[in-house]
Amino acid sequence: MLDRRAMLGAALAYPAQAWAVPKRTPGGRRIINAMMFEDPAHLNYPLSNTRIMQEICGNINESLLLFDWQFKPQPNLADSFEMSPDGLHYVFHLRRDVLWHDGVPFTAKDVAFSCGVMLPQLNPRSRASFSHIASIKTPDRYTVEFQLSQPFNAFLLSFMASSAPMMPAHIFEGTDFRTNPYNFKPIGTGPFKFADWKRGQHIHLTRNERYWRPGRPGMDEVYYRVCPTPEQRLVAMETGAVDIAMADDIDTIVTSRLLANPKLVTRTDAYNGTGEIAVMELNMRRWPFSDRRFRAAFLHAVDREFLVKAINFGMGKVAHGPIPSDAPYYDDKVLTKYPYDPARARALLDEMGCKPKLGGVRHRFGIMMIPDGGGYWTRNAQYIKQALAQVGLEVELEAVDWPTQLRRSGNWEFDCDCNSYGEYGDPAIGTSRFYLSGNIRKGVPLTNLQGYVNPEVDRLFNQAAVAVSRAEAQACYSRLQQILTHDVGMLWLYERKPVFIYNKRLKNVVMGPNGPSDGFGATELA
Amino acid sequence: MGFARRFFARPATVFGSVVFLIIVIIALGSPLMFAHGPLSIVGMPLLPPGSPGFLAGSDVIGRDMAVGLAYGARISLLVGISSTCCAVGIGVLLGAIAGYYGGAVDDLLMRMTEFFQIIPAFVLLMVLVAFMQPSLGSAVIGIALITWPQVARVVRGQFLSLRSREFVEAARVIGMGDARIIFTQILPNALPPIVVISSMMVGNAILTESALSFLGLGDPNLMSWGSMIGSSRVAMWVAWWTTVLPGLCIVITVLALNFIGDGLNDALNPRRRR
Amino acid sequence: MKFSYIAMRLVKTVLITAAVVLLSFFLIRAVPGDAATVMAGQAGYADEAYMKGLRAEYGLDQPLPVQLWRYVEKVARGDLGTSYVRRQPVTAIILERLPNTLLLDAFALLVAAAGGIWLGSMAARRPGSAGDSAVTVLAMLFYAVPQFWLGMMMVLVFAVWFPLLPPFGIETMGADYTGLARVGDVVQHMILPGMTLALYFLASYARLTRTAMIDVADQDFVKTARAKGLTERQVARRHILRNALIPLVTYAGLQASILVGGSVLVENVFSWPGVGTLAFQAVQGRDNPLLLGIFIVTAVLVSLFNLITDIAYSIVDPRVELG
Repeated sequence: MLDRRAMLGAALAYPAQAWAVPKRTPGGRRIINAMMFEDPAHLNYPLSNTRIMQEICGNINESLLLFDWQFKPQPNLADSFEMSPDGLHYVFHLRRDVLWHDGVPFTAKDVAFSCGVMLPQLNPRSRASFSHIASIKTPDRYTVEFQLSQPFNAFLLSFMASSAPMMPAHIFEGTDFRTNPYNFKPIGTGPFKFADWKRGQHIHLTRNERYWRPGRPGMDEVYYRVCPTPEQRLVAMETGAVDIAMADDIDTIVTSRLLANPKLVTRTDAYNGTGEIAVMELNMRRWPFSDRRFRAAFLHAVDREFLVKAINFGMGKVAHGPIPSDAPYYDDKVLTKYPYDPARARALLDEMGCKPKLGGVRHRFGIMMIPDGGGYWTRNAQYIKQALAQVGLEVELEAVDWPTQLRRSGNWEFDCDCNSYGEYGDPAIGTSRFYLSGNIRKGVPLTNLQGYVNPEVDRLFNQAAVAVSRAEAQACYSRLQQILTHDVGMLWLYERKPVFIYNKRLKNVVMGPNGPSDGFGATELA
Repeated sequence: MGFARRFFARPATVFGSVVFLIIVIIALGSPLMFAHGPLSIVGMPLLPPGSPGFLAGSDVIGRDMAVGLAYGARISLLVGISSTCCAVGIGVLLGAIAGYYGGAVDDLLMRMTEFFQIIPAFVLLMVLVAFMQPSLGSAVIGIALITWPQVARVVRGQFLSLRSREFVEAARVIGMGDARIIFTQILPNALPPIVVISSMMVGNAILTESALSFLGLGDPNLMSWGSMIGSSRVAMWVAWWTTVLPGLCIVITVLALNFIGDGLNDALNPRRRR
Repeated sequence: MKFSYIAMRLVKTVLITAAVVLLSFFLIRAVPGDAATVMAGQAGYADEAYMKGLRAEYGLDQPLPVQLWRYVEKVARGDLGTSYVRRQPVTAIILERLPNTLLLDAFALLVAAAGGIWLGSMAARRPGSAGDSAVTVLAMLFYAVPQFWLGMMMVLVFAVWFPLLPPFGIETMGADYTGLARVGDVVQHMILPGMTLALYFLASYARLTRTAMIDVADQDFVKTARAKGLTERQVARRHILRNALIPLVTYAGLQASILVGGSVLVENVFSWPGVGTLAFQAVQGRDNPLLLGIFIVTAVLVSLFNLITDIAYSIVDPRVELG
């Protein structure tokens, strides 16, 4: 679907760029230029973890561990760690040479504070992971001991920078986290420290001269420049004004133009650690959403292959269940799949008593949209509206802004909403939170918003999380996938593999499955 | 018959009238011309014009551009003509009263028109549409509210000069009421300039409506030329037709209306041709 | 006498601005969407206590007349309030962006006036010729072209197909140019949006000039000048053009409010960081103080601009007396 003119334009753009491109290393400073579509509200990632905060704070805050491409834990702020055979006792030995950006030494006190107080309070994902902790002890300045109430086999995976960044106790302890002024000038241990923030223009990070890794960071400055529209971001990448385009910076419509650009490198594995699935959630407290046949009919009515191939220009893969196909514990054999079959959809709706009334409409309901300014979310919703209309379901698309979206979804004031959820390395961390009946909390986003209740599912998730052997966990998760897909526990649309594009003048940009969430400490000039 | 002769004197006017007629026919007949509506996704996205089954290509989500262009004509004409009618209605009423009675009423009207001249009209329109929630109705009312002052000014001027004429004096002498004098005596003579500018006003209203839709302030459930251009901002970089074709439709329609306006000018204000 | 006229005009400006403030205040308050909700949403959470605190901080919980009086008081002191969304003083935000819009407008005005007068006078010199018809047709065409679409066509031709000029923003991002390099950078960025703004007005100027010059050319004093033996060029420059400038100056005065409002579209297409973009963002974000501030600043500027053009008018045409 590449337009010849676009190729011509693309070909012309590179050798013959007629307007000015900034000097790449002014004054010898090695600069990374990235983008953001608007200023984040603040820079306290645990407080409200949006993607852009995750990416910026990945340079500033670190966690105890790093994860390689096989999701094996590697030392980071923790030099070494041990786990007791019964899985109840974890000991982390911290590095002794780490300093916070303000010069205060990083010690066990910070870990105890972060994991025991701040993260569980602010971050639902951490709350779930760390709820298994019975006690945290700090026998000396550089040792932390976690005693768990039951074995939690994904415990180590909780220590990704995107899930559990270490926060400074001397800054946050005893303060109101929401109004702490350091939310706007964050302090961390990472390769880059916060330098300045010009709202509407950029956030500027500068090299941490006392970073604990020798030889790092490989660059001197990082700028996140405000670039509000997708066209601007496209031009910025093409002209080289910006070096890095992350997850949703470039609209799938024009990705083809950048793929053809010889100066850019494209990677689709930079977000493997997130394991994201684009979904729609139904408010199961309302009829007909409470009936599994309706949910099954929904999936049958929507041609998800067309959704991926056409509406999303091939970026993605149809999702058949709650766990992404390349994530651990995925079990294809047990899944109930719902191929595109509008006739079957109509039959199911008839069967459950959702019959066509006057005018051929079986049921009218609203889909609350994601405010993405006409991007792929809006296009997804428009296609789904049309697909559902063909089986007699009339949809009203509700355009809302972010505050309204968060409020209404948190307070369950919706029929159907759109979202995308990450697994973050283990179903116990990222997946269970949406299906556990205990995680139905009014007013809190990223919880079991649908109100899905299945005691069997609760039992299995809890059992899987504390399973000692991998085989036992796999058995539980297979059964879970079987039950959830039969039940249509959520409307899984497709797996997202966000594209990460960077300029060839840089290397070592993506070092693991967490991509930019682990920061640009290793990046160097090529 | 002299009117028709004067109206069609220029070839441009003939051209404009024919084109406008075609557009009206397409607008009215579009539901009959196509099997599906403009919002239906019927194929792969971003197909170039001339692809099998897609005369004008497809847009970013796989909709038929040709259907969108035809239905867009309906929106443009509907908003253009309704808002102009409203503006003319309001403007004639207020301008007539101000011009006929003069004095304080006239002063008030002049201050109001000055107010509208000073505020950036388009920004005011955005606020009005946001207030009334973006829809077809709010676009019509909003555009009418920012364009009636120019009508009122013209009508007022006409009334000022006509009210002291002999035939008006005569009507008063025989005891005709003010309202009757305004509507049956003066107004018919004041109308020609209004008719001339009204076709320009329709054209401008179409331009304004498309600007609103472009910015996302139009009716979210309808497809108009402006919204087609607005939703093609990224797609333009890989598919020029998504932007070029709707814009050409706007240009052709407004141009035709302007030519018709010239013709009306020739017909109603016979003067030396320049 | 001239000074009293100017003084009277200034008073009139103040009165009209006051009317603008009053009406706009009520109108903008009527737009649905509570400011506290917007601001709370920006911070990422929305509990009632926090929103109550915000409302008190911004005086939103006071009765309407009190709010209005407070606002008028502040405006008189030059304080236009604080933006809901950006948490910065409105005056500062507008003053930061205003030069960008004025720069663009000035460029567009210059190009439009120069180009329009040149084309118009050429056409007027030989009325009825092919060149004359071409100018008329072009003018008609530009009247029918939507400004935002023209802008996008410029981007299409000069950035997508033939990458010759930067299509977005006022400066190259991240370059931090200074001095002459910066000027050059800004000029490069100004060309596409400036030409888009200019082309529409260029058509108007061309037509106005042409009509005015043809009108004047027929008048007696011109015929006298010709009879006296002045060359055609001298006649054109000294007599015709000077008198034709009068309607142009009037038109320029009308343009002022159109330029600020009209630039919303051009600034939007080219992401030009000016007052037009600010106005659009303010409407979208329900940022009432900012929107109101823009209205007021625009009203004052347009009134002042009208005053200046009136004075210019009196200079160009000595027959006109002010007051």
